[in-house]
Parts: sequence; C-alpha cells; structure tokens
Amino acid sequence: MTKAFVGLLLLACSVTLSSLNCANVKASEREKLADPIMERQNQFAKQTLSQKFFLSREGSIGGAMGIGGGCGCAK
Amino acid sequence: MPTLRKPITLLLLPVLFASSTITAFAGEDQMGFTTYFFSDSGENSVITTSFNLAKQLLEQTMLLLDIELDNVTVPPVTAVTGATRPQRRKGEPFEKNRGQVIIGIEQGIWTDATLAANVYSSQEVDYVSNSAIGTFSQDLFGRNTTLTLRGQYNHDRVGEILDNGDVVNKRKDLYTGTGGLSQLLSPTTVLDLSYDYVLVTGFQSDPYRQVNVRDASGVTVQTDELHPSKRTRQAGAAKISQMIPSIEASIIGSYRYYFDSWDVHSHTGELRFNKYIIRDLILGIDYRYYTQSAAYFYKDQYVGQQYLGSASRTADYKLKPFSSNNFGLSLTYLLQGLARASKDLDFLQNSSIEVMYFRYFNDLEFSADIIQTSLKFSL
Repeated sequence: MTKAFVGLLLLACSVTLSSLNCANVKASEREKLADPIMERQNQFAKQTLSQKFFLSREGSIGGAMGIGGGCGCAK
Repeated sequence: MPTLRKPITLLLLPVLFASSTITAFAGEDQMGFTTYFFSDSGENSVITTSFNLAKQLLEQTMLLLDIELDNVTVPPVTAVTGATRPQRRKGEPFEKNRGQVIIGIEQGIWTDATLAANVYSSQEVDYVSNSAIGTFSQDLFGRNTTLTLRGQYNHDRVGEILDNGDVVNKRKDLYTGTGGLSQLLSPTTVLDLSYDYVLVTGFQSDPYRQVNVRDASGVTVQTDELHPSKRTRQAGAAKISQMIPSIEASIIGSYRYYFDSWDVHSHTGELRFNKYIIRDLILGIDYRYYTQSAAYFYKDQYVGQQYLGSASRTADYKLKPFSSNNFGLSLTYLLQGLARASKDLDFLQNSSIEVMYFRYFNDLEFSADIIQTSLKFSL
C-alpha cells in the first residue's frame, strides 16, 4: 500500500510539473479564481472547526495544512 | 428548552458582535468571529467561540492573532461512553472549558516569498498543548505556482484527574513536517497537493479509558488502555477546484490517503458544490466519505494474561475499522451588496456572514449534528 501511495504522489507531482510549462495564467486572467465560491481565501493557517471534529472522531490526520494540539473534544 | 438557551445565544453572538466592532479596524486588516455548536448521539456537546485577526503592521509585515474558547459537556458515565472522562463523580455530567491562543508574525522576505512564525497554546483542566510553527511560502513561475513548507513542534501534557482531584501529567511530543504545492492549471482551475509527516512520541493512550480483558482463568477484568509510545503518521492529499462561470458555480473535489506505523490506513474523498442562488448569496453542498482500517493491536476481545501486562490494547473508537458519511449545507451572504448600496458601508466590500450545518454518521452507530455561524471582515 505504501508503494501505491508513493506511486500516486509521484504521479501527482509529474502532472503538476508537466503543467508548469503549459499553464501560464496571467494576473489579469485570475479574477474568477479569486471569487469567494472558489474558497481560496485561507490566510489564517489554522484548522477549521469541522476539521477539528474529524480529528476527534477519526484515526487520521493531514491534508489540511492546519495547526493543532488539544481539541477540547472529550478526547 | 433551557438547555438550548446557551447555544442559541452563542450562535446569535456574531450578529451582536458585528454591530459593535465593525468600526474598530481600518486599512487592509482582516478579522473573523465564529460560533460553533456540536452535539452527538452520546449526548456530548461542545460550544466554541472563536475570534481571529490579521493586522498589517508594516508594508510587508502582518500580525496574526486567534483566540478560541470551548465549553465541553460530557454526560454521566454509561456503558457506551464511560471511557472519555474522569471516573470520579461519574454519575454527574462533566463540564470543562478549553482556551486556545495563536499569535504569529508573517514577514515578506524577498520577491514573492513570506516567512511566518506562530506560537500556539491550548489549555484545559487535564490537557495542555504548546507549539511553535514556522512556515515558508514562495510564489514561482509568474505566481502560477505556490510552494509552502511548514515545520511544527508540539509539546503536550496529557493529564489524568484522580479521585482526590489531583492531576497527574504525562508527556507527549509531536514533530510535524508539511509540504504544499498550489498550481494554477487554467484561469478557472487550481490544483493543490500536500504531504504531511508526523512523528509522535510519549503517552498516547486516554488516561480514563478502560479495556476489558479476559485473563487465564476466564474472568473478565478492566485495565488501563495501553498504546505504543511511538507512532509515525503520513498523509498525501490532492484537491482540484474548478470554476464553472456559465452557471456561476464551482466544484471542489479532494482525496486524501493516510497511513501510519500502527497500521491504520484511510481514504477520504470529498466533493463540494458552491453556487450563487441570487446575487451575493452562495449555497454550498458538501459530501465527505471516510473509511479506515484498524490498528494492528485493536481486538474486539482481548484474551490472555499478556494484556494485563505490557501488551498494547485499546478501547479507542478511532482505532477500529469503520466508515463514515458527512453531509453539509451552507449559506454565505456577501456583504458587498451593502457596500454597493452605500458609500458609507464601502468597508464591507470583502466581508461575509456564513451559516453551516453538518450531519455526520458512521457505522459504529455514532452520529452528530454541527451548526456553525461565522462573520468575516476584510476592512
């Protein structure tokens, strides 16, 4: 399973790296990306409250770039 | 009805808060206020109030502040939930509070790069967590790509409240490394990739949780949970966000694969659809599926004398095999409409009010309802 994970990670990186050459979105073309429905405004690097709930109920972490430790969630 | 008074009051607080504070800030600052109410099928409840502020101090320097308060209520001990709270006065509800503060500075260091340093502290009567976080972010290739690297150290004290009221603390340390890459694929598409590595050492059991063990003579006895003292945890995640301009909507899909040295493997998939239903009002629909395998030392029934000694054993539901579903609905009202209507309200241009509801259930016969309201101001 770990090999599959590494494979997927390499595939994702390959797709991204290959896109670096073909994607050149100019600043003037980025208006739609800044629309609130794209949810790109994540300035404050803390876990959202719903992510905190998942941490208290599930055995997994990661993928959200959040800060945490101690959740007040009846452990 | 009296039991609902506190959560309803807190959920309405953002509206009262807004009217008293919107004139307090000026410039390019951002602030937010959130209340959150959670209740589950085990009669646990959590009420959280949160305030955050990002204030520009100098041209390339930003101050970040986040304050969060939780009020947690755990019901009297039952056969199902008796493992998650102190054993003393176990016939009464147990209530505790938690406070959390994050303070940070974000500094522009060279072209298109920032460095951020944060300190984090969370305290409750039987758990203390302190953390230091460093984050480096660099825009590349004409700002089509953003690379983010983060390192974090947590020092936690896991407490146990004894029958006489004393608290005994045990140590837990976490070392986290995270890498993230955001890539614009087109004027309407963004791809996000991330990888997390976490090393956890020290006390990782719940000091209150008991495990049933059948000993050599066939008698069932209760003993403390005992988890291994080291765990490495890894996760890789991908998210793609696609704008659909023709219908004023977006679709955001994500997947995460997680595995750790306790043999827990999980898959998480999430799909979110956002759409303007009228001008300035966004409807969000969310579905999340999660499935995981069990830890290598998890058993339905522990049999043998070794489980009364040093052999690992658990009663933690987070280490069982299970699947869960989560449905969410949200409504976000952008206050830019008010800004358009009156020049005096121009400062509300990038502000919003949001109400969210989530319904979570899993195949361990657990379910929960979550309501969240939040105000975000960019002044």
